[in-house]
Amino acid sequence: MSLTTSLAATSAPRRAPRTSLLTKRRRRVGVVLVLPALALVGLLIAYPIGQAVYYSFTSWDGLTTQWIGPSTWTQAFHNPTMWTALKNNAELLLAVPFALGIPLLVAVMLHQRVAGWKIFRSIYFLPTAISWVVIGLVAEHFFAYSGTLNSLLSDVGLSSVHTNMLGQENEALIALGITFVFSMIGTNTMLFLTGLATLDQSLEEAARIDGAGAWRIFRHITLPHLSRFIQLAFVMTVISAFSALFSLIFVMTGGGPGYSTTTMEFLVYQTGFNQSQFGTAALYGIILFVITALVGIVQLRLIGAKDS
Amino acid sequence: MSVATTTPTSRPAARSQVRRRVGRTAIFVAMTIMAIIMLYPFAVMVLISFKTNAQYLIGQGSSTQTWQQINSSLPVWQELWNSTVVCTLSIAIILVIGVMAGFSFAKLQFRGGNVVFLGIVSAMMVPLQAILIPEFVNIAKTGLTNNYLGAVVVYAALGAPFSIFLFTTYFRRIPDELIEAGIVDGLGYWGVLWRLALPMALPAIATVTVLQFIQIWDDLLVGLLFLQNPNERTITVGLAALAAGHTTSIPLLMAGSLVSAAPAMIVYLIFQRFLVRGLTMGIDR
Repeated sequence: MSLTTSLAATSAPRRAPRTSLLTKRRRRVGVVLVLPALALVGLLIAYPIGQAVYYSFTSWDGLTTQWIGPSTWTQAFHNPTMWTALKNNAELLLAVPFALGIPLLVAVMLHQRVAGWKIFRSIYFLPTAISWVVIGLVAEHFFAYSGTLNSLLSDVGLSSVHTNMLGQENEALIALGITFVFSMIGTNTMLFLTGLATLDQSLEEAARIDGAGAWRIFRHITLPHLSRFIQLAFVMTVISAFSALFSLIFVMTGGGPGYSTTTMEFLVYQTGFNQSQFGTAALYGIILFVITALVGIVQLRLIGAKDS
Repeated sequence: MSVATTTPTSRPAARSQVRRRVGRTAIFVAMTIMAIIMLYPFAVMVLISFKTNAQYLIGQGSSTQTWQQINSSLPVWQELWNSTVVCTLSIAIILVIGVMAGFSFAKLQFRGGNVVFLGIVSAMMVPLQAILIPEFVNIAKTGLTNNYLGAVVVYAALGAPFSIFLFTTYFRRIPDELIEAGIVDGLGYWGVLWRLALPMALPAIATVTVLQFIQIWDDLLVGLLFLQNPNERTITVGLAALAAGHTTSIPLLMAGSLVSAAPAMIVYLIFQRFLVRGLTMGIDR
């Protein structure tokens, strides 16, 4: 005992300067290892945000800039096209409950583990792997005048109802929304199924023995348990609705007819690359950034809450 | 005797068993319908790709003509190669940067590290469209849009934050004592990173690789704008460009879609579990 205390007493002062030297070295290595990441993210993500703000106050064609003050902003807010795009975004949010509800139902069904559930699971997830460009091309065929939807309608005796959803101003957005929901099913089902797998089976079993019906078990045990997963899926789906539809729109409608399927993200592309109004396009980008940042803060809090 | 006693009690049991079986059958039927919906795109691609354009228009007949001609109508091999190059280079950068920064954030606490970490993780939330215009002008000015690198650096920047987040979470689980032991043994920080930490992070490497592969392979926007040389187009961009030219035959588009989808589907089917892990990383622990 006296040996250990004396050892500790003698080694303590000797170790102190050594560790501080080590600490210094550790910190230096730490900074060096982070530098490439900082440079990449700083130059290609953070810096352009600042540029976008700056360019939104200039008349800019990509080469020459001229400070024109906030006039681009006033113009943008008086531009009906921007409001149409925002309205389209808002309407697409109506698809979110379906993009969550259907996967929730599918996940709960998969969780019952009836015969062949693993094969079903793989099938449901498979579209997750393919590009939304491909999904868009197939959806175009589905909604087309001579496409699957119309032949299905005539099969059930509704041949008088001949749809052309992608060609109609008030229907194209619905077709886009349906395609969006389809595209989200795999990812969200995957999330919910992972959540269900962490649910304590004995809890459900106990409730069943106590005579609780399937709905009550779902409502009072399964759903509360999944709340975090539902929150995450909600945030991811909303962010996707604002920033992942480009491929679908590009392939299916090109933003049309008119501006009926132009969302903010597509408006950025159109304004910049079809109309060469870079300053205005940068401004639209900022608005999109603010919207997704607000949603993103929610997600960061979700991650952060669990982290700490 | 035993029969007599079991019969009355087993009647409700039998009824609940019947109900259970009916329930399970209903679920099976519902899941089968769902499977048909989810397989619809694949069925459409396969069926239509085996028609000529004329056969497609009249809705009858089948032919392998589209497949025989696909190479001359769509530079599939070149575009598959382009996709492979862009994916490989981007993922390599994303992994190297992610491993280095993740190790640093997790184990080499330096002053201000947490703030930098938060800043980089927040970058995950920035959609490319929000910064598309300045990004494009910057990259175009450097001339990188004329070769693979234009798209590669953008993909790397978009993928790095998630990769850093994942590796940081992963490396945090390595005990500090192990790192210290490695340092005392004279490995140095690089040695510890490559010989101790990296082998432990193999599942995270797989997750990042699979997720990013599918993301980059399937992406349109970056490739469309940052690969200005048509000979360097990825297969997804090539497909979208073909679709935008409205004279194209639908069977050809569907065949091209299948070709473009096949690699990502194969990767996905083999590495499904890594994908699921990556997706739920933020919430699992």
